[in-house]
Parts: sequence; structure tokens; C-alpha cells
Amino acid sequence: MKLSEAWRLSSVPYKESVYQSLAEERGRMWWGAFGKSHIEKDTRNDLELTQRALRIARFDKMVVAVFNVIACSIPFFSLSLGSSIFGLTSAISLSLVVTFGFTVLYSVQTLSSFVGAKSSALMATLPLAKDDFSLIMLCSFVRSVDFMVVGSILSQVLLVAFLTMSPLAILSMLAMATMNAVFAVAVALWFSRLFYKNLLRGGRSKFNTVLRLFFILMWGTLLMGIGFLFSVPWYIVPHLEIMLLGLNTISSFFLGILYPFSAAIVVSNFVYQSVAFSTVMIASLAIVAYLVLAGLAGRWTLQAVKRTSEGTGINVSRSTAKDFSIKTRNPMSGYVIKDLKIASRNPATAFFFALPVLETVTVSLLITNMQMLRTSMILVATATGGVLALFMPLALLSAEGTGLEYTKTLPVNARRIIVSKTLITTATYAPVPLTLLGLALMKQLTSPLGLLIPCAITLSIASASVLEIKLFLNSAADGRIGALVQDIQKLVVAVAIVLIPEVAYGATYLASLNHLLAVMTMSLAAIAELALAVHLIRKF
Amino acid sequence: MCVCAGMEVTRKVQGTSDSSITPLIEASGLAKGFAQVQALKDIDLRIMPGEVYGLLGPNGAGKTTTIKIIAGLMEPTAGWVKVVGFNPVEDPIEVKSRIGYIAESPILYESLSPRDFFEFVASVRRIDQKAVNQIVTRLADAFDMAQYFDSPIATLSMGMKQKVAVIACFFHQPPILLLDEPFNGLDAKSTRIVKDLVSLHTQQGGAVLFSTHIMEVAEHICTRIGIIHEGSIIAEGTLDQLKSKSGGRTESLETVFLKLTNEETEIADTAKRLQEAFLKN
Repeated sequence: MKLSEAWRLSSVPYKESVYQSLAEERGRMWWGAFGKSHIEKDTRNDLELTQRALRIARFDKMVVAVFNVIACSIPFFSLSLGSSIFGLTSAISLSLVVTFGFTVLYSVQTLSSFVGAKSSALMATLPLAKDDFSLIMLCSFVRSVDFMVVGSILSQVLLVAFLTMSPLAILSMLAMATMNAVFAVAVALWFSRLFYKNLLRGGRSKFNTVLRLFFILMWGTLLMGIGFLFSVPWYIVPHLEIMLLGLNTISSFFLGILYPFSAAIVVSNFVYQSVAFSTVMIASLAIVAYLVLAGLAGRWTLQAVKRTSEGTGINVSRSTAKDFSIKTRNPMSGYVIKDLKIASRNPATAFFFALPVLETVTVSLLITNMQMLRTSMILVATATGGVLALFMPLALLSAEGTGLEYTKTLPVNARRIIVSKTLITTATYAPVPLTLLGLALMKQLTSPLGLLIPCAITLSIASASVLEIKLFLNSAADGRIGALVQDIQKLVVAVAIVLIPEVAYGATYLASLNHLLAVMTMSLAAIAELALAVHLIRKF
Repeated sequence: MCVCAGMEVTRKVQGTSDSSITPLIEASGLAKGFAQVQALKDIDLRIMPGEVYGLLGPNGAGKTTTIKIIAGLMEPTAGWVKVVGFNPVEDPIEVKSRIGYIAESPILYESLSPRDFFEFVASVRRIDQKAVNQIVTRLADAFDMAQYFDSPIATLSMGMKQKVAVIACFFHQPPILLLDEPFNGLDAKSTRIVKDLVSLHTQQGGAVLFSTHIMEVAEHICTRIGIIHEGSIIAEGTLDQLKSKSGGRTESLETVFLKLTNEETEIADTAKRLQEAFLKN
């Protein structure tokens, strides 16, 4: 079979694998029985869900690729972004790290259904030769990551070409970026297989829980990476560059061995011979080893794809239940536990649980450089954390997926759904006040009353979450753009609710220059919002 | 196992529609229209305690729509329904507390294991832990679920998912069972268990409304059958009553069904055309 024909045919299993990963988890469905009554839309559920999932698949792939290109380009623009030092070595290192992280995390989401081999089940029944079938599945696998990988390699190579004009540097960058992509795809496939294996095996092992926590932490680390990325021009580039340029220091020796710094040292050495010779030698030797490793990783990937297409990819034995006992809780706890389980087990929504990490990082980054913990900074930090927490209700609602059809048959009203998701959202925000409390122990405060600000905002988060979910239940968007616009509208309304008490604080303080009065006004505004939210819940 | 806990059934009646007994399900003038299709037209239903009412009809006849309206999952465009005296549109929670529902294709929370799923459903339904554990243990054991009890539902076969739906449908012991193609994907042993559960349920005074394509099943377990065609119930009664309506007392339910839905001649024509097409090739 010709490669072009295999590529064309591979669009079928590719679409199927992407659809499977999206339809169940992220397809925005019509909430009919819980929300406003739209009788005429009752029958559109399935069709709408399928169409939306396919639209999201195309949209997601494009958006993620563009975002990846932007993120991997940021380190190269440290000078124009305000850094006093331009460091090619650190820029390449950071760019490779960012690309690696995004490729792994995005690929894990789509490859999870690829390794399940359900996508190839239909094609397997066709009279295709084994090799042709493997080639089609390989192309389908490549389609999952093509935009991201090609986009990041091209942008990294072009940026190095633009900045250095050195053919040797360009060629070596091409090799390093390709190696980076091979590593990322192999790691993503390994993770996907691990998750799928774990999924098949089932059981109530502690290992499953630890693995899920690890995955969430991975997302958290990535999100933290985004936070750090904003600091690239100001903090990271200068520090990293100084470390890399350090003559024969222990740190530059270790960085020379460590990927991706070794790759960056090798590329930049073709342009600037500023790194110590010994470090360059160590980095070059390390790169040879990494290239061999990349070759092995690439071969493993090809074999894994082939095994998947042959249906011999993953063999596990299910764990047998020792008993059939179940534990009942009160209805609200039961719903909260269910929400937590389904959202944390879904790669597409699990990362929202990492929002506390991002919140904490955001708050810390905003405040750590200040000598004094000023009330204005607390206001900004709490609002930023609050905005991030407001993504949680949308994630929890999306995670319900098609399983919601079952919940509709249970004696569950919208009130329970709203309260459950509001409780989780509010709990997600908890690290912000705790971080502020920790920082307050280390720094001086302009007013101790400032520590009450995050407590008042916690009430606002709960109120905003209620309204956000209520708006979600009452809406049915046509098309992806419509859904996106509606999501933004809901977020804007929710953000406004979080900001009202802050504005109340600011206005009162400016008028009276009295912290106590300002905090009291803020608290009253937050309590009024909560009272309104409770009233809304009762109306359901 | 005590079925129908909390149900106020005054008398156990099987195979009748005595007007002096309060029906568990009652519908009148039920209609449902979608954008360009009239799915249901003027449906009247009375299902009494102890009855197994089978809704038979070709694909798209309106069986699932009828069951969904009764379950409170869909609103009718006209007419009304009462389920144990409650209107599903006005009191959906009351109705959902009193029904056990199995959907045409089991849509469950795929990332949960059957254990997690049962814990969720039992918690939401406020079922006593001891009671539910007894039922779950017996049914899970009967359905040979040990190997799948802690596996995510996404990894289960259709039959196994159906078993999960069946267990969840029974463990709150509802007075009414709404079963939409309940035997989909079930093996012979499990089908038998479900039939026995249905039988036990009606012996305890519960009512069952179920739709099926399997005529043999309907023939054996239904006390009354309604044949639905193009959104209307065109015939209703016991098997014998339907047989006499179609003009033959020794016919199978399948023949009666095909006669009443005017599909007998159509099937013969289609078979003839297919035979011609295959013979040409």
C-alpha cells in the first residue's frame, strides 16, 4: 500500500480515536431534564453530541498547536520581553522543555483511546494485509500529534535560523527538536498505555490512586510551567544563563549532562563559544547518548503502535473483587464523591484539580518579591486565584458527560448538582487563603485585617460558582463558537461577582482610609452575594 | 428479597385491568411531537399492580418515547401521565423515587467501577446500607460480576453494562419497573434471572412496563400487550385477545404482531426482492 493511500485511510481510525476521547468527556451535551425546558431539542442530543465532539477535535488540535508554537517561542524573545540578558542556551533549553511538556500532556489525552484499539476495531474486520493495516494505524497515530510536533520543530528551527544565521546551529537545532519530539511522543504513548492498562485491570489498589495523583501533579507542574514562563524574561533566563556560562562550576557540569540543557549547549556552541570547553565536551557526549536513547524510544514507539494495531498491545488480567459490599453516604456526599471520581479519572478534566497549584504559584509569584505584604497585593492575588477557580464548575459539568443521562433517571434535582459542584469549586480555592496566611507569617502586613480578604472572597467564589452553573444549566449553545461564547459569558458574570466585594473594599478604603470599614463593607457585599446565591438555589 | 418497599398497593391483581383498583401507571391522550415527526398520538395506558405490560412495536414506533415520558425524562406535548398518583412533569423527583428504569442502551458513568456506581446510586436514593448490600451481593453474585466489580464501566461488555443497569434498577425495590429492551446483550442465564426478578416483582404487587423486540419473551412474561405502531396503540389485550383480533387462535405473537402492523405482506415482498438480487449475483 502506498503511503499516501495509508495516510488517507488513516483519517477514519484517527477521527474515531479522537471522537472517543472527546465524546464521552467533553462533548457539551444538552442538559434538558435539569435545565430550562426545550422540548424541541430532546431528540438532538446524540447528533449534537457527536457533531460537537468532532468540531472540538478539530478546534482543539489547531488551538493546542498554535499555543504550543507561541509557548515554545516565548523564551527566544527574552530581550524584547524585557530581559537585560539574551541567552540562546537558556532559551533553547526552556523551549524544548515547554514543547516536551505540552506534547506529552496533549497526546496523553488522545492516545489513551488510541491504545485502547477500539478505533481500529472496525478496520480490523476489513481484508487488509497485516503490514498495510499497521501502516494505516501508524499514520493514524502520527495524525494525533502532527500539528503540534511539526509546528514546534519548525518554529524552533526558524527562530534559531533567524537569531543565529548559522547553518550548523540550524541543523543541530533540527536534530535536537526532532529528538525532543520523539522523546515526548514515546513518553506520551508509555503513559497512555500505563493508564489504559490500569483502567483495564481495575481493582481498588492504592497504586491506581497514586498514579492518578501523579498525573494530576504532572498537570500541576505543567501549569506551574506556564506560570514560570511568564517570568522567563525577567527571572529564569538571566539565572539560567549565568549558571550555564559558569566556568567549570559543578552546576554547569551537571547541566551539561542533563537534557535539554546539553542539547542547548551543543546548539549554541556553534554560534557563541562562551561556554567552557569541558562543559561543551560533556554536553556533546551526553547528546550522543540521548540520540541513541531517542533512536530506541522511536523504535519502541513504532513497535507499540504495531502491537496496538495487531490487538496484542496490552494484556492484563482483571483483578477479582473479594466482596460486593458497597458504602452508602448521604445523597450530597454521594454526589460530591461521584463528581470528584469522574473528574479526577478523566485526563481531560483531571488537570483542573491542579488549579490550586497554579493558584498558589500565581499568588506566590505575585507577592514573593515584595518586602511587605500590601493589602493591594492581597486583593490582586485573591482575585487572580478566584478567577482560576471559576474554571472548575465548567470542568465538573463537562466531566458529567453522557453519564448524566443516567442521573436524569434518579431522584436528583438541579439544586444537588449545583451545591455539589459549588462545594468542590470552593474547596479548590482553599490553597489561596492558606498561601497568603503562610506568606503573612514571613512578611510584614500593612494591615492584619487584609487576611480577611481571601475569606470574604471564598464566599464570593461559592456565589459565583452557583450562578455559573445555573447559567450553564439554562443554556444550550449551537456549535463550538456558540458554546465558547456562552462559556466566556458565564465566566465574565462569575468574575464580576468575585470582583464586586473587592471593588467595595477599594471604594470604601479610598473614601474613608479605614481598613476595618473597608473589610466590613467587603464582607457585607460577599454575604449579600451568598444570600442571593442561596435564594437562587432554593428556587430550583 | 422483598420487592416494592414503601408501595401502597391495596390488592394484588394479575392480568386484569379492573377499574376499582388504582392503576400504578395511567396515561391519557399522550402525544409527543418533534420538529417534523409526531412520535406519539393520543396514547392511553392503564397498568395495574401485578401486571407486566409489554409494549411491542417496530423501530421508531414510539416505545422508548412512551417510556421516557412516563419516567419523567421527556415532557409530552399533549395529554397527561400519572405514576403512583404523581405527574412526572410536575413531580419528577417523586416519580423517579418510585421507578426502576433501564434504558435501551445502558448509558452509565464510564469511568466509575460498578462498585462506585452502585455506591453513588444507593447514596442518592438514600437506601439503607445493610439492605442494599444484601441485594447487591446476591445479584452481583448471580450475574457473575466478581471479575468486573472494580473495573471501570467503560471496559465492560454491553451485556455486563446491562447487568449493572439491572442491579441498579432493582436495589431500591421500586413499585414500578420501566424496562426498555432490558434483555439487550444479556446471556441466557442473565436473561432468566431478569425474567425471574420481573416475575417476583409482580408477585409482590409491582407493575412492569417493558418494551421488547423479542416476541418469545413478550409471549411468556407479559400479562398484557400493547402493540404500538406509528405512535398509536393499535391493539391491546392479553395474548389470547390479540390472537382473536388478528383472526387466528393458534398463531404465534410474531404472526399476530406482523398482521396487526400490516408488515406481513411487506416482509414477503422484501424477502422476494432480496432473493432475486442475491440470485442474480
